[in-house]
Amino acid sequence: MDYYLSVATFAGLNVILALSLNLISGFCGQVSLGHAAFYGLGAYAAALCSVAGLPMGVSVAVGMLVAGGFGIVTGFAALRVREDFLAIVTMGVGFLFLGAVRKQAWLGAEMGIAKIPSPLDKWGYAALAIGGAVAVLLLSLHVRRSWMGRAFGAVAQDEDAARSIGVDVSGYKIAAFFIGTAAAGLAGGIYAHMTQLVVPDAFNFVQSVTILAMVVVGGIGSTLGVVAGAVLLTLMPEMFRFINDYKLLVYGGLLLLVMRFSPEGLAGLVHRVTGRRLA
Amino acid sequence: MSIKSSSRLIFTALVAAAFAAPAAAQNIRIGFHAPLTGFAAADGKSAVQGAELAVEQINAAGGVNGRRLELVIQDDQARPDQALPLANKFIGDGLRVVVSGSYSGPTRAAAGVFHQAKVPYVSAYAIHPDITRAGNYVFRTSFMGEVQGRAAAKLIGDNLKKKKVTLVTLNNDFGQALSAGFKEVAGRFGIQIAAEHTYAMGDRQFGSIVASVKKDDPEALYVSGYFFNGGPLVAQLRAGGVTVPIIGTEGFDTHNFIAIAKDAAEGVMITTSLDRDSSAAPMRRFIADFETKFKVPADMVAASTHTALYVVAEGLRRGGVDDGARIRAAISGLKDFEVATGRISFNELGEVYKAAQIQVIRGGKFRHFATIDDPVLLAPPTK
Amino acid sequence: MFYLELLLVGLVWGCTYAMMALGLTLVYGLLRILHVAQATVFTLGAYVGLLVANHTGSLAGAFVAAALAAGLLGPLVYRFIYRPILDKPPFVALVASIGLLIAMEDGFRLLFGPYGLSFAKNTWFTTAVGFGGLSLNLVQVWIAVAAVVLLSLFALFATRTRAGVAWRATVSDPSIAESFGVGVSGVRHTSFFIASVLAGVAGVLVGLLNNLVEPGMGSVISYKGLAIIVLGGLGNVPGTLLASLLLGVVESFGTVYLGKLLDRDAIAFLFLILVLMIRPQGLLGKAR
Repeated sequence: MDYYLSVATFAGLNVILALSLNLISGFCGQVSLGHAAFYGLGAYAAALCSVAGLPMGVSVAVGMLVAGGFGIVTGFAALRVREDFLAIVTMGVGFLFLGAVRKQAWLGAEMGIAKIPSPLDKWGYAALAIGGAVAVLLLSLHVRRSWMGRAFGAVAQDEDAARSIGVDVSGYKIAAFFIGTAAAGLAGGIYAHMTQLVVPDAFNFVQSVTILAMVVVGGIGSTLGVVAGAVLLTLMPEMFRFINDYKLLVYGGLLLLVMRFSPEGLAGLVHRVTGRRLA
Repeated sequence: MSIKSSSRLIFTALVAAAFAAPAAAQNIRIGFHAPLTGFAAADGKSAVQGAELAVEQINAAGGVNGRRLELVIQDDQARPDQALPLANKFIGDGLRVVVSGSYSGPTRAAAGVFHQAKVPYVSAYAIHPDITRAGNYVFRTSFMGEVQGRAAAKLIGDNLKKKKVTLVTLNNDFGQALSAGFKEVAGRFGIQIAAEHTYAMGDRQFGSIVASVKKDDPEALYVSGYFFNGGPLVAQLRAGGVTVPIIGTEGFDTHNFIAIAKDAAEGVMITTSLDRDSSAAPMRRFIADFETKFKVPADMVAASTHTALYVVAEGLRRGGVDDGARIRAAISGLKDFEVATGRISFNELGEVYKAAQIQVIRGGKFRHFATIDDPVLLAPPTK
Repeated sequence: MFYLELLLVGLVWGCTYAMMALGLTLVYGLLRILHVAQATVFTLGAYVGLLVANHTGSLAGAFVAAALAAGLLGPLVYRFIYRPILDKPPFVALVASIGLLIAMEDGFRLLFGPYGLSFAKNTWFTTAVGFGGLSLNLVQVWIAVAAVVLLSLFALFATRTRAGVAWRATVSDPSIAESFGVGVSGVRHTSFFIASVLAGVAGVLVGLLNNLVEPGMGSVISYKGLAIIVLGGLGNVPGTLLASLLLGVVESFGTVYLGKLLDRDAIAFLFLILVLMIRPQGLLGKAR
């Protein structure tokens, strides 16, 4: 039972992470290769607060704000550079976060922060992670239908055209980065309390790529597709435990094949088979 | 050993695990996780080999109380988020004892889970100080980083009488712990630290460090890292004209280090637990059997996991196979237990004291140089 | 002297980056693809070179074999992976490329073992060359020589040969080039071939430099390569060369003076971000 709970918890966290990246990259068209940095920022900030004695709820909220705050800064960077330039800059943000944390004694450097208080039991974390995932899911569906969602779409499609019809491109870009990175911070805060340990390596480039993979395998821009992608890629390594030795080979191969044969991901597959577009 | 045969072994172990329900009455299953894939796969492979050799030897000698041991091997990719579900899976599958053949991140993350479930958990070579602090069901059979750093300080300051030392430190938990231990006691041996330069796990090019070391002009170098950093680093230091003694750590304790650094490895000293010229029977047997079975010389990671498996087997022998609390008590009660890495006893935290073996590379082989047996200096923390 | 040595070290690093980044920028200039999987080509070159060197004892043979193997793999990647998805959004090819890199990294591990392989005989590695109080090993010298020679050959190719002119025409406008009778497909295959040969040769050189060929050896240099081509101004060849050398030197000094605050990768990317915030189009890129 505990095993299923912990897998469910990670599935919930991954859904939060993937949906939050989808807000930035899918809805608003700003490809990010450094999303794990914001996951990490949330985890580290929450861990520091919790170790200092703040209650978990407050710590997680601080984690979200810190991640969102750095997200706004990155959003400003996205005003200067676009597309592939932005992809590489966000990748750089990830490396910069990691390289800085590794050297800071007050963040535990390579040892990370251990002995983070853990006020909930396994059921509690599973409920929290899944609840958070549902909340971000509802938020995503709502944003998509709202005026903001349409503005995001306009920015994603053609920035210059959006600007010429009076869309506040800069404002919406920064908003997308803030919402998306704050949500990643939420996942980080939950993660830190659940594992009671944060170390830099948990938030490296591979983690960023993993989150991006969930988004694109699900179908970038499609909320339900991304949820499916996140759940699938969480369960896949678990289902593939029997091929221990070939796990990454299969994983990388799958990414390659999905992109090659169904670039719109699972959502695109559903569209082709049923003729319906997923939300 | 070829990849094919290693994957076959793993496959066999897994098939055995899958069909284990009817056979479980016979075999005692021991959980084991290591990084089989990802950046740490090299150490993962050595770890699996050490564990497999231990199980094979124990089974050949009649098993534990007449029952055979069986490894249930899982890949953790050296990632903490992989270790948590995996730990819960082991517990859910009813395993009574688990060994970590992995790095600090996953081991620390899993330790808390095992302690709560009252499943004894032995870390073979992860060095994070907080691992055993997760609770009294958690043990470690290797040196802690700090302790090994202290041994190196004594070696340099006392045995070699070098007083001006530059540190070249790998920037991860292993390197930082070694460096902290070294600096903690350096003053006691009259060592003055000229400078400390750090590098990252992925680095293989050390030109700027070589230049800095030449500027420092130390009498000796204390270098941490793994063979894949250390090999190129030592070679580049020597090619750059640095001739002073180089003292490394158990991370270099593999023939791969010598294969990479070649002639530059000559004279390099390391602090480790494996003595190639030992007269102790378990150590000799481990070294000989390992080379026979896998056709490569034994390394420190394999020796550490081999040790952890022997500790677990002894715990099962004395504590029975069903009750985690009794197995735990049996392991913590081990005194002067002789294993491949020396004679070990656990303290109240679950850490061991061992003498440090100083090996020097001569003629392309690790040879005995000195033994530092100082229970005060090398005492692991007790809380 | 210390500074001179750091400068030299940085320039040698820059030369290895240049050999990787030039290929990446060629590919990007033509197809707008961030070709992360170039790291796979690099690693393949290193493994092929090492195996040939260890079996035949000939380093020249090793370089030729590595160049051929890499030169074969690159165009195949283009043909079977990139070409069918060229009309998709740019991240599609990027993710496909990352997928290939992850899969092949593990493929190399399964094929050749996780410990990595060393050259049986590597005299360049152990030979120190001293001049004026500076000392390098022979591999470092050869890396500088190889970079200069290969990049000069490339410059000659681009400016003096028909294929080179066709390539430049295709970069600046594929449809016009095609209407003048340039075979776009041929140009693309040629570009992937050149990029891959450079990466393969660089792979052997870096393998010799570390005396270690390992499954993951390509990834970091490949990510840095992407940073460099962005820094230079995407698709801009002189900018790429300038950025390579500059980044090498920045890392070399940065690891000494900023080492307490940031690690080497972070220093490189910090530099990249700072430059891009001031010049969003890169060092020598044209403003859009």
